[in-house]
Amino acid sequence: MNNKPKIGVYVCHCGMNIAKTVDVEAVAEFASHLPYVKVARNYSYMCSDPGQLLIKEDIKNEGLTRVVVASCSPRMHELTFRKTVAAAGLNPYYLEMANIREQCSWVHENREEATAKAKKLVYAAVAKVRLLEPLQEKEVEVEPSALIVGGGIAGIQAALDIAAAGFKVYMVEKTPSVGGKMSQLDKTFPTLDCSACILTPKMVDVASHPNIDLMTYSQVEDISGYVGNFDVKVRKKARYVDMNKCTGCGACAEACRLTGRIPSEFNEGLGKRAAIYLPFPQAVPAKYTIDPERCLMLTRGKCGKGPKCMEACAAGAINFEQQDEVVEFKVGTVIIATGYELFDASKKPEYGYSDYPNVITGLELERLVAASGPTGGNIVIGEGENATVPKEVAFISCVGSRDASVGNEYCSRVCCMYSAKLAHLVTEKLPDSNVRIYYMDVRAFGKGYEEFYDRVRREGVRYIRGNPSEIFKRGDKLVVKAEDTLMGKPLEDEVDMVVLATGLEPRKDAREIIDILKLSQSADGFYLEAHPKLAPVDTATDGVYLAGCAQGPKDIPDTVAQAKGAASSALILLSSGKVKVQAQISNINEATCRGCGYCVEICPYGAIDLVEVNRMGNMVQVARVNEALCKGCGACAAGCFSGSAQQRSFKDQQILPQIAVLGAMK
Amino acid sequence: MADLEKLITVAKETVSRDDVKYLIGWRQGTYGFRVSPHFITEPEEADKLIFSPLCSNNLATYLTLVEKLPVPRGQEADTRKIALMVKGCDSRAVVQQLVEQGIKRESVIILGCPCQGVVDLAKVEEKFPAGLEQVAARWDDGKIVFQFSDGEKAVPREEVLADKCLRCRYPNPVLADTLLWEEVEAGSSSDEYADVSELEAKTPEERWSFWEAQFSSCVRCYSCRNVCPMCYCEDCILDRLNPTWVNRSNNISENTAFHLSRAFHLAGRCIECGECERVCPVNIPIMTLNRKLTKEVREKFAYEPGTDPASKPLQASYRPNDQENFIL
Amino acid sequence: MSEQFEPNVVAFLCNWCSYAGADLAGTSRIQYPPNLNVIRVMCTGRINPLFVINAFQQGADGVLVSGCHPGDCHYMEGNYFARRRFTMMKELLDYVGVDNKRFHMSWVSASEGAKWKDVVKSTVDEAKEVGPFAQFQRNKINW
Repeated sequence: MNNKPKIGVYVCHCGMNIAKTVDVEAVAEFASHLPYVKVARNYSYMCSDPGQLLIKEDIKNEGLTRVVVASCSPRMHELTFRKTVAAAGLNPYYLEMANIREQCSWVHENREEATAKAKKLVYAAVAKVRLLEPLQEKEVEVEPSALIVGGGIAGIQAALDIAAAGFKVYMVEKTPSVGGKMSQLDKTFPTLDCSACILTPKMVDVASHPNIDLMTYSQVEDISGYVGNFDVKVRKKARYVDMNKCTGCGACAEACRLTGRIPSEFNEGLGKRAAIYLPFPQAVPAKYTIDPERCLMLTRGKCGKGPKCMEACAAGAINFEQQDEVVEFKVGTVIIATGYELFDASKKPEYGYSDYPNVITGLELERLVAASGPTGGNIVIGEGENATVPKEVAFISCVGSRDASVGNEYCSRVCCMYSAKLAHLVTEKLPDSNVRIYYMDVRAFGKGYEEFYDRVRREGVRYIRGNPSEIFKRGDKLVVKAEDTLMGKPLEDEVDMVVLATGLEPRKDAREIIDILKLSQSADGFYLEAHPKLAPVDTATDGVYLAGCAQGPKDIPDTVAQAKGAASSALILLSSGKVKVQAQISNINEATCRGCGYCVEICPYGAIDLVEVNRMGNMVQVARVNEALCKGCGACAAGCFSGSAQQRSFKDQQILPQIAVLGAMK
Repeated sequence: MADLEKLITVAKETVSRDDVKYLIGWRQGTYGFRVSPHFITEPEEADKLIFSPLCSNNLATYLTLVEKLPVPRGQEADTRKIALMVKGCDSRAVVQQLVEQGIKRESVIILGCPCQGVVDLAKVEEKFPAGLEQVAARWDDGKIVFQFSDGEKAVPREEVLADKCLRCRYPNPVLADTLLWEEVEAGSSSDEYADVSELEAKTPEERWSFWEAQFSSCVRCYSCRNVCPMCYCEDCILDRLNPTWVNRSNNISENTAFHLSRAFHLAGRCIECGECERVCPVNIPIMTLNRKLTKEVREKFAYEPGTDPASKPLQASYRPNDQENFIL
Repeated sequence: MSEQFEPNVVAFLCNWCSYAGADLAGTSRIQYPPNLNVIRVMCTGRINPLFVINAFQQGADGVLVSGCHPGDCHYMEGNYFARRRFTMMKELLDYVGVDNKRFHMSWVSASEGAKWKDVVKSTVDEAKEVGPFAQFQRNKINW
């Protein structure tokens, strides 16, 4: 501030919007006498081309170094006038606005009072503008690649879209195969498409796409950095099978001593697998994995006279010496598509899920119905010779959803429809069966859903409005105790099988990602989007997007739509190659900073770190802002006792003069 | 019971260590009931250390107060440990400094001195008008015994102890590497904030006239700030000219702004050692101001600074359900 | 007093909720007293509680701090920090005898133009009720 500032003040009439209640000429005349004001003008529409020209010419001819526009809200036209100022060669942040329309002329009727207030607001703006500093809008380069965490349908869709646009994609999936929950489904509502038929081609595409680096049986260990420049660390867990040699023939699994003795995760425990396994026949990659918690070699160090899988493997792919591998790479953007978990039905003991084998969950029934399932698509209760075919089947909806007693107040959005779909499949496979669905409300809101619900009812599925209070055993039968709230009568319903429509929950390991990326959770525990309506795929961390059920329960169409949205958001970043960094961000004066770390705790974006600096030979700790992460809220500035943290354009020394004017001017 | 021999032995051992820069304790002052801080680097200097009811000074201040002088080219900064003797209240200052990263745990050795309370000099000098003679004192079974040249005089502790000690809930260090002697029984001390409640019960006009009188007498010597173990900014915003938060002129406006700003900056950080009030040359009841906020912080946020080194600072944390009944 | 006292209130508003709410009051042409002037900051988290002391020193008869409702902060957490800070500042001011009616905090969302009017009105009315601030204001403007 060597030179005295030369301020230009422009008072807008906004047609009659301002001029009607504010004496704009008097305000401009008043402003012309304020300190450092070189010119003060009033004009009918400052935002119009001639209005803006007025400013530009004055900057050139009068040598203005600061501009105050007294007009509408800065939320309306601050950007406009910043561009005007910049067009005339002045730093765009040498602008301050006085809001004399929304917060003056439109809310006051008395011309004298409104004019006095407008003068005050202009004075405050003049007081601040002279102390504003030039700011630079920096840009950082974007690494042209994306990380996708989670290989379910959401992750798969996002990966394919980004890869198709020509960018590198790293996909990290925790389990040995991509496919996620959708791969476990038999048919999808309401069209009854075969789930595998529409999903597996996409799974194969992901594995074969030249732009996609698929890492299954892997876990993200750390992500650091900021938008455009994330450093990722992934742990590829040892499979004890050489991926390059394994042909997926399956001879090893047949040979394994534990064949048929380990519950299959894919079949929800209804089928059995070996210690070396392919999660399901269509798994991608079609490579076997040894379960380190079950394998005798890995748990006990010996397997008979020698591991049979090794003997059986003609390709020599099995390697018990294999170690975890940690890989590191850089990406410009991250999509979190980690999905959900099903509600644990044993948390509702009144439904007897833990007690009765013929109380099953929807996903378990899904596996029973599926031709690829453990029963070859036969709906039976029990195993082997004891297996019986159920005749009376009851569904219970909202198990673990819309239920504050288990902490889930939200609707899981898919259970009504998957119950209807499963009910249809049961009636189709067992034409003699009687199916009823106990429900609170039926939510059939999607395209074709209501029609499907009607169809299922026409097919003879009974809908009984009432939430069962208890399920107990009477002889061979299960008794569903409920109240039909439409009829207003209690009932005891004897059935052979109960299907619990369990809801969707945030993953138990959701915290891992939260800790790594500093994401937030909404009240229901799912990851929090930046805005529920206008930024549903964004997160508070720039460059990190959400797709699928990680953000909240949704069905497949919504999941795919959101995945495409997330991919598109990521592609905006990737294809522009650059990202603008906020200019009005915080800065810390390291000379006065005492390194107390308050700002580090306060910053919602993790944009501040404590670093050691050498202060005349002494190593001292000071806070430092990562400019690419800072979003310019200024919370650090108010929390800093020494005034070392300051937000540009909102510094203490810029705000205090405003206070002085507004306080002193009566 | 304070064991001087043990204190001196431990102090000698400590300063003899290669990794210790110096030890800070107390020694007799030069006249009256005064006590001085004692910085020792050599074992023989330890003989002068004392611990008595006169040892009011909170030595934790020196952990952050000591200026870091520029290190001449070619030399290394001296990063050896500092050993510090602490009473219960002093230890809370150390803990809060740890919370606020003013010191590193490994760079300080805390020698804990369980304490039976220190005297309020004003109370003592009222009983025994100040002379130039150097007087010592000791605790003796509920009494404070003053050792004058013409004999000893015992006074019940309640009559001379500082107010903060009469309601002390932390007579024993909350954090120490070595406890120099047995812990003092915490007793039934409780703190109901009677002094604060008394003021609260008055009308706003009465409260203002009380504080107006107090703040008017302030000479802005900044002793309260300088002695405070939590006021450690190298460049205090209240000293600064750009921006000027508080003008230098001494008047009720600037004085009030100074005191309110100082009190606010200590909200959730004041550990109630009472040093600010002790050193005030014009006897402003600064603790009565600070304690309003410690009371609110305890009641509204269940937070007590300087008690848990792992806690997060009050003003750098929040709970989504913090109460907000005052908000429109 | 022959002429009625008109108080002078300084308000600090966050850009995203309260300032937008005040703008909405404008676009909706909701009328309210002209005694309150706004300083815009990006977030209530930016509002240094010492601003309040300073405003009183500079001659304000009342001070208002307004931001997003809990959970709605554009920056996620700023209003939570502000709430803690101003809880303590409010208590402190009250304790030294600055009338409670002179300092207020409010949550006004971008859709609450009508609430903004109510907040302005009650803030101005209460400041009016307790009269000119004469406790520790400065003698002259200082910037």
